[in-house]
Amino acid sequence: MAAALVSKCSRVGRSLLGGLGNNTSGLLSTSNEIMSNNFLSQQRTFIQMRTVLKVVDNSGAKKVMCIQSLKGKKGARLGDTIVASVKEAMPNGKVKKGKVVYGVVVRAAMQRGRVDGSEVKFDDNAVVLVDKQGQPIGTRVFGPVPHELRKKHVKILTLAQHIA
Amino acid sequence: MRLEKCWFCSSTIYPGHGIQFVRNDAKIFRFCRSKCHKNFKMKRNPRKVKWTKAYRRLHGKDMTQDSTFEFERKRNRPERYDRNLAENTLKAIKKIDKISSDRQKHHISSRLNTGKVKRRKEAKNELNQSIHMIKAPSVIKEDSSLTLPKIKVKVSQTLAEENQPMEE
Repeated sequence: MAAALVSKCSRVGRSLLGGLGNNTSGLLSTSNEIMSNNFLSQQRTFIQMRTVLKVVDNSGAKKVMCIQSLKGKKGARLGDTIVASVKEAMPNGKVKKGKVVYGVVVRAAMQRGRVDGSEVKFDDNAVVLVDKQGQPIGTRVFGPVPHELRKKHVKILTLAQHIA
Repeated sequence: MRLEKCWFCSSTIYPGHGIQFVRNDAKIFRFCRSKCHKNFKMKRNPRKVKWTKAYRRLHGKDMTQDSTFEFERKRNRPERYDRNLAENTLKAIKKIDKISSDRQKHHISSRLNTGKVKRRKEAKNELNQSIHMIKAPSVIKEDSSLTLPKIKVKVSQTLAEENQPMEE
């Protein structure tokens, strides 16, 4: 990545003189800094195209990749619905690999604001597969689920073991 | 509305502050501010971090057992609203808080007292032994203003005899 940067800079800055040469070395050092900073301060972001999520119900799928977030320009958050493609599935399950399904995000690593002003975040990104009407395909849900599902996805809440 | 305790530093979290982290085993960690949250992410043990309440209680710096702490126990049964009860509770909270904080201050001051006494004793010793470094002893003897005056009190025999009927 650093080499590509250098080559790009040399192509662009051919008209400029040695000043840009100094800049490229500066850029390289700052990019190294950014990489070491990212290790400590992970910026949690939205669930967007190509995000792999864990499936936490017994519908048969194990891992699912987001194709489209049905709400939000930048991506889906906790409690939103997404369109996803099944990447990994159990051998005998209701959904097979390669199928396009809808899912509700039940756990997101990005914090979501609550009405009382506090914020919640979970450990991973997890999804529960639903059909077009919003009814869950599976019959069990594993792990904690947030309060945010209270308005629209009551069925998922009833199946949940623990409501965070 | 419920006032929670920060998992790391044990301070109260008021509404609108802090972050809740829900782990996949459904354990909820509440943090009062990003300082505590970042320390948690670094996997620091609050019992080893000096400024937390957990450390202070463990190492005897703060009071651990007191009857005033019983009032703060978490109760999960909701109480039916009663105006008199609410009023009395509010008054009681104020009083209990004052008593509790006084007792805690006393605990800390009594802990620090032993050091204070020791330091006074050492200072007195040093004054008696090393005063020669500041002023020569011959000067101290000559100049009466540098020492405390020695007051001699004469106790007469008649006064001692007079006191006896009072004691009886």
